[in-house]
Amino acid sequence: MRPNFPVRLGAAEQALIDQLKSAGADQAAERISVAGLPTRRVESYHYTDLKMLLRAIPALGQPANEASAPALRVPGAFNLMIANGVIQNASTAPAGVIVGKAQGGVLTTRDDVLVHVNNGLAKEALTLTLENSVDPVIQVERRIEGEAAHVADALKVFVADGASAVILETFSGSDAAHVGNHATYMALGKNAVVTHITLDLSARGVSHFATNEYHLADGAKLRTLIIHAGAGLSRTHLFPHMGGAGAHADVTGLNLVSEGQHADITMETSHAVPHTSSQPLFKSIARGRSKAVVQGKLVVARDAQKTDAKFMHQGLMLSDEAEILSKPELEIYADDVVCGHGSTCGKLDEDSLFYLLSRGIPKAEAETMLVRGFIAELLDPVEDEALNEALQGVVDGWLLGK
Amino acid sequence: MTTPVLEIRNLHARIEDREILKGVNLIIPPGEVHAIMGRNGSGKSTLSYVLAGKEDYEVTEGEILLNGENILEMEPDERAAAGLFLAFQYPIEIPGVATMTFLKAAINAQRKARGEGELTTPEFMRLVKEAGSQLNIDSDMLKRPLNVGFSGGEKKRAEIMQMALLKPSLAVLDETDSGLDIDALQVVSKGVNALRDGQRSMLVITHYQRLLNHIVPDVVHVFADGRIVESGDKELALKLEAEGYANYGGEAA
Repeated sequence: MRPNFPVRLGAAEQALIDQLKSAGADQAAERISVAGLPTRRVESYHYTDLKMLLRAIPALGQPANEASAPALRVPGAFNLMIANGVIQNASTAPAGVIVGKAQGGVLTTRDDVLVHVNNGLAKEALTLTLENSVDPVIQVERRIEGEAAHVADALKVFVADGASAVILETFSGSDAAHVGNHATYMALGKNAVVTHITLDLSARGVSHFATNEYHLADGAKLRTLIIHAGAGLSRTHLFPHMGGAGAHADVTGLNLVSEGQHADITMETSHAVPHTSSQPLFKSIARGRSKAVVQGKLVVARDAQKTDAKFMHQGLMLSDEAEILSKPELEIYADDVVCGHGSTCGKLDEDSLFYLLSRGIPKAEAETMLVRGFIAELLDPVEDEALNEALQGVVDGWLLGK
Repeated sequence: MTTPVLEIRNLHARIEDREILKGVNLIIPPGEVHAIMGRNGSGKSTLSYVLAGKEDYEVTEGEILLNGENILEMEPDERAAAGLFLAFQYPIEIPGVATMTFLKAAINAQRKARGEGELTTPEFMRLVKEAGSQLNIDSDMLKRPLNVGFSGGEKKRAEIMQMALLKPSLAVLDETDSGLDIDALQVVSKGVNALRDGQRSMLVITHYQRLLNHIVPDVVHVFADGRIVESGDKELALKLEAEGYANYGGEAA
C-alpha cells in the first residue's frame, strides 16, 4: 500500500534510510522514505505501532571489543556467538555439525519493514548444517555490546533428512539502547525433528526484533518456543511454512511483560500441501502497566486438504493496568480442513488460589505455583534437562523480580 | 476443663447481601467427631468455607476459636498452619502443578510457619509413600498434575492423604461422601478413621446418614436455615434418615 501523499519522516526513519543507503539497500531505503515506519493503520502493526514506539535508531554496530556475561549457561551445550553482527570463532563442532558463513541476509522476501531492514543490513550469516542427529544443545548467542548500536544479524540452519537437534538462541548484551534485528532461516529435511527456542534477555532499553522462518519437508516435526523476557520493546515474527505431507509444527511462545514493556509475537503459518498440521499455543503474562500482543494467522492453501491446525492464546493478567491483545486470523482456501482458534484472558483463578492457601501455602508462593503451572505446558516439552532447568530459572527470575 | 479444639460462638456470615450463617454455636472437645447434617442450601458448606477463611464470605458477628485462639483475622494459610484442614467437597484441579510438588510445598510451608525445619526429600518421600499406600495412591498418581483428570474417588482419597500428611488438629470434611461408590467410601472412611487418635477432632458435614455408618460420630447436629437446631448422639442421624428434614422447617431443596 503506497499512500499518495508524502509521509512525515521522523528521526528513526531518517536514520534507517541513511543506514540502508550506505549498505546499498536502496530499495528498502526507498520503501521507508515513501511509507515510513508502519503505524497502527497498517493491519499487521495495529497493536505495535512502530512509528510511535521506535523513536530512535542508533548508529550501525561496530565490532565489539568488550563482552557482557553470557545471558544463559546451559551445561553441555555447544556454543556459537554472533556479537554486533560479527560471527565469532567457535570451538570444535560436535559430530554432524558443519559451521560456516554465507553472504548477506537469509530471509525470503516478504513485504515487511523489519524483514527488509534485516536483509538490507545483515552482511554475513552464520550457517549451520546438521547432517545427522546432534546430541548437545546448540546455543547461538546473539549479543549487542558496547555503546547503543543498531545491529542486524542472521542465522541459516539446514537440517538433513532424518536429523534431529535442539537449537537455542539467546539475545543479550550491554545495557544500552540497542536496536537488534535478528533473522533465522531454518530448513527441515524429511522427517527431521527440531526444537527451536529463542530467548530474549536483552536489557530494558533495547528494542528487540526477530524474524524466524521455517520450511518443513515431508514428515518434519518442529517445536518452537519464543520467550520474550528482556527488551522494553520486542517483536518476533514466526513464519512456518508447512511444505511437505505429514509435517507438523508445535509453534509456541511466551510473552512475559512488566511495567513499561511491550512484547509482540506475530505468527503466520502457511499450510501449503495436503496433510499437514500445526498447533500454535501462546501464553502471555502481564503485570504493571504493560502490553502483550499475540497475532496468529493460519493460511491454508487451496490444495492443502486435511490440514489440522488450531491456534490458541492464553493471557494471564497480574495487574489491572496490564493489556493483553489477541488477534487470531484464519485464511482458508481448502474445503476439507479442521482449523480453529481460541483465546482466553483472565486473572489467577480465585478458587485455585484458595485451595493452595487452605493447605498452608502462603499467598506469594501459591501465586508463583499457579503461574508456573500456567506456563508448564510450554516448558514441559523441553526434554533436555539442563536446558529445561535453565529456562525454568529464567521464568522464576521473572516471577521473583517485580 | 480442657480447651475445645473448636469453639464457634454466635457466628453470622453473609455473601454479598445474603445472610447464610445466622448464629452458629458449636463446641468440639479434643478427640471428638461431630457430624453436621442438613439439607442442601442450609449453609453447611458455607460454614466449612468460613472456617477455612474463604474471602467471598463476610463474618458479621461472632467468633471462631481454634484451640482457644481466635482465627477470624487469620489468612487461610495461617489457619492451616494453626491446625485447620478442610477436605473439599469438590477438590480443585490445578493444571501444571504436580501433586508431589504441591504436597511438598504445603508440608514445608506449614512446618516453616510453626518454626520447624523443612523435610529432606528422602524424609518427605517416605512419608508420602506411607500415607499413599494406605489409601491406594500410587506414585503415578502423585506425578500427575494436582487433581487433574482424577476420578471422584481419587480426588477424595487425595484429600484424605493430604490430611494424613498435614496432621491437623481439626479436620473439616465437607460432603466427603459425595461422588463416591461403596468401595471408595470404605477406603476413604478407613483413611479418616485411621486419623482418629483421641486428640484430633473432626467436623463431618454430610446430608446422608450413610457416611456416618463408616465414620461414627460422637455428636450429631442438625443444621437448618443457617444455624444448629438440634444436637444428639448418633441415633439422631438414623432418625433423620427415617424422617427427613421436614420437622426442621423451611422448604425441601
